[in-house]
Amino acid sequence: MSDDTLLVVKDLHTTFDTPRGPLAAVGGVSFELGQNETLGIVGESGSGKTVLSRTIMGLQPRKNVEVTGSVRLNGFEVVGASEKEKRTIWGLEVAMVFQDPMTSLNPVLRVGKQIDEILRVRLGMSKADAKARAIELLELVGIPSPTERYRVYPGELSGGMRQRVVIATALAGSPKLLMADEPTTGLDVTIQAQILNLLDGLKTKMQMSVVLVTHDLGVVATRTSRIIVMYAGRIVETGSTRDVFAHHRMPYTRALLEGSPKVSNPSHTRLLAIPGRPPNLLDLPKGCAFAPRCAFATDQCREERPELEAADEPGHTFACWNPLPVTEGVPA
Amino acid sequence: MLIGVVFVITVGAFYLIHLLPGDPAAVILGTGDSPANRAKLYRQLGLNKPIIEQYFVWIKNVIRGNLGTSFISETSVWSTIKAALPIDVEMIIISQILAFAFAIPTAMRSARKPDGILDRILSAGSFTLLSVPSFVLIVVLVLVVAIKLGVPHTGPSSYVSLSADWIGNLESMALPSITLAIGSYVVYYRVLRSDLIATLQEEYITMARSKGISSRRIMWRHAFRPSTVALLGTAGVNIGGLLAGGFIVQFILAIPGLGYQLIAAIGRSDYLVVQGIVLVVSVGVILINFAFDFATNLVDPRISRE
Amino acid sequence: MSNPNFLNELVEEASVHTQPLRKRRLGFLFWLCVGWIALNILGAIFANLLPLINPLFQNYNVVNAGPSLHHLLGTDDLGRDIFSRIVFGSRVSIEVSLGAMLIGFGIGAPLGMLAAYRRGTFDAVLSTVMYVFLAFPAIIATIAVLSFWTPRSLLKIIVVVGIAAIPLVYRVIRGATLNFATRDFVVAAKVQGATDRRILMKELLPNVAPIGVSFLLVGIATVVTLEGALAFLGLSVNPPTPSWGNMINESLANLQVNPWLAIFPSAAMCLFLLSLNFIGDRLRSHYDISEIKL
Repeated sequence: MSDDTLLVVKDLHTTFDTPRGPLAAVGGVSFELGQNETLGIVGESGSGKTVLSRTIMGLQPRKNVEVTGSVRLNGFEVVGASEKEKRTIWGLEVAMVFQDPMTSLNPVLRVGKQIDEILRVRLGMSKADAKARAIELLELVGIPSPTERYRVYPGELSGGMRQRVVIATALAGSPKLLMADEPTTGLDVTIQAQILNLLDGLKTKMQMSVVLVTHDLGVVATRTSRIIVMYAGRIVETGSTRDVFAHHRMPYTRALLEGSPKVSNPSHTRLLAIPGRPPNLLDLPKGCAFAPRCAFATDQCREERPELEAADEPGHTFACWNPLPVTEGVPA
Repeated sequence: MLIGVVFVITVGAFYLIHLLPGDPAAVILGTGDSPANRAKLYRQLGLNKPIIEQYFVWIKNVIRGNLGTSFISETSVWSTIKAALPIDVEMIIISQILAFAFAIPTAMRSARKPDGILDRILSAGSFTLLSVPSFVLIVVLVLVVAIKLGVPHTGPSSYVSLSADWIGNLESMALPSITLAIGSYVVYYRVLRSDLIATLQEEYITMARSKGISSRRIMWRHAFRPSTVALLGTAGVNIGGLLAGGFIVQFILAIPGLGYQLIAAIGRSDYLVVQGIVLVVSVGVILINFAFDFATNLVDPRISRE
Repeated sequence: MSNPNFLNELVEEASVHTQPLRKRRLGFLFWLCVGWIALNILGAIFANLLPLINPLFQNYNVVNAGPSLHHLLGTDDLGRDIFSRIVFGSRVSIEVSLGAMLIGFGIGAPLGMLAAYRRGTFDAVLSTVMYVFLAFPAIIATIAVLSFWTPRSLLKIIVVVGIAAIPLVYRVIRGATLNFATRDFVVAAKVQGATDRRILMKELLPNVAPIGVSFLLVGIATVVTLEGALAFLGLSVNPPTPSWGNMINESLANLQVNPWLAIFPSAAMCLFLLSLNFIGDRLRSHYDISEIKL
């Protein structure tokens, strides 16, 4: 572990206590993230990626949840920390950009007040100073006429604008790690690109590491240095973005890649949907969780669950008994 | 439109009272009652004119600000109302302050820990209290407070006015105010609790949490604000109801507020007083509803935008 | 607190593979309350047949006595047995509330349904009239009328309260019917050629009924309370006829001497109201009816 490592996650499990039994949303995830790195976490709905991002931050619900393992953020151990302790890092060391800008801003409070709240309450800035900084932040995220916009209510802004406000709010405390949980899913396609580019620029400007959680591989293709592919709460493949795109081994990764539309494809190319349904986390199958839907599944796949093993490239691992041949790959 | 409603109400009140068999003449004349005297009295008071005409005479006077003079007590209706209204206002103010002071913190506590011990006790208790009528509450309170504990100035016929003695006044207003406060508390607690629980599920609360804001601040600044909308709406209806219907409490404890005067006036067929009070109460209820609607708009910008 | 929405999604997906939840049961307390109401009603109906001391009999030997074996709940200031007065008194509460609701629903409900279904001038005229009546504080009207329509009788009280209830029932039933009348299944029935009568009875009524029942329970509770309030103004049934309201009212004068006279009838009334409210609440959550605005 070098001094450069911002975030170390070791064997993280998040289990929910539901009326129908324990649900392991995250079942043994480990990875590291350095300073100024961008990590993409990719998976379908129900893969556990959102629960993972929240657990890393410590934002999981307080009741009926059990978290084991370790999450070290700049030396601070998140797992097992009390709410009070976690508050010391929230907003200042790590912040989150939520998925739906319609619901993540308080509709009855003015936008400016929501941005500078952290400055006044946590950093003790004066009202005037906080307001000035908030207006700076509004400008930073690309909102025109920031001084006027300081006073508006969220309802008066469009979706894209609101998401920018959410980003500004997250950045207010100058966190070193930004968790972006599907930050563009609820937005128009044209706005999506804008917001993602904005995040790109901001992370360099503010020297942050970013964890980008999404179901859309297109989003992470050019903006991340590393990718984690999740399925049924576990990592099934991880490596540098280039390696995962060009040299992936796990069939699920291939299926994801083929399922997302690419501009380079000829028009009217069929999108290949993955057959079957997402796994029932309350009742996972015995072997590999993807086996029921995998075209390459063998008996071993159905019996034993594969562990992560190294591929040829450094830092590239995957979990599959019957991986794709080494030389194949889909151009990114 | 609202003026129309008030107008209709006054017409209704007017006709109702005049249709009833009670006769102010009998009350005024007392032993000197006879058909000839009655007829003379009617002419004097203008009661022999057709009803519609009587109504317009009254309305004209009202618009000019003159509510008339009661034929029975010979005092102006307005002075009766003027003496009684502050009592109602005081009762409402004290009871609502008490109700809110208890309802807000307890509802917050319950919303933070739903199904906790406090929540269960309060929810069961408030449900039970909903089934207890105000007069039962008064009887029980009088029994406990006035009699067992022997606190003075709290039984029936014990009203002491503010100007006379402010301690005595507070003591005499304590029982009716507490009764009304309990009734209001129960409603406010239930509404606020359920609304807060719903608000706390919202994503923006998680976002606030992720900023490292303390639970207290989240509750007061982020959760309470949206929930006050429902609370204000309920308060508006509730207080309007207190103004119009708190008279049972007043009557039992002989507190000379508007309700008390109204009942007494009905009893002696004092038409003008009845009409005057009904008018004032209706206007009051409408004004209160207006005020609360206005406050709701201030709190929640979404509503005014719609 | 953080929102459990994403948790819900996870469980939703998982639940695709499992069985649906059983319907919640109404519960022991629910049936206990139903039993209590039934007991009260039976007591009211068969009061004459029960081995009760005559509620009007004044026994000056046992004035203001506390509970004993002979007088289960004690006696009042005229030596009358409290227990039997409570049982006979329940007649008043029950008769007034059921009678008034009969009038209110008997007239208000059909009118409400018809108005919501027919719309047009019929609805416009009728609703305006009803809303005018609603604007006037009904309590004051009730008090005024009962003050002067002497001599007072149970029947008169029932009639006055019942008529006052009509606009309230009308508004609720009309609102509920409107909610359903515009829905697709009604249109579908019409297209299939169903007569108006059939639509009203077979399509709309079953949907409006739960709301009606819920409001009925609220109405009964309100009228029982109203009787109590009227008693305090001297406008309930004439003494010496026992009624819960009268008894509680009379108890005020003698609180120091005989607290039992205040406690027992109050308890009887409150338990009755509590049971009604509990039943209504349970039914509402069971059938998923949202709160009715009065």
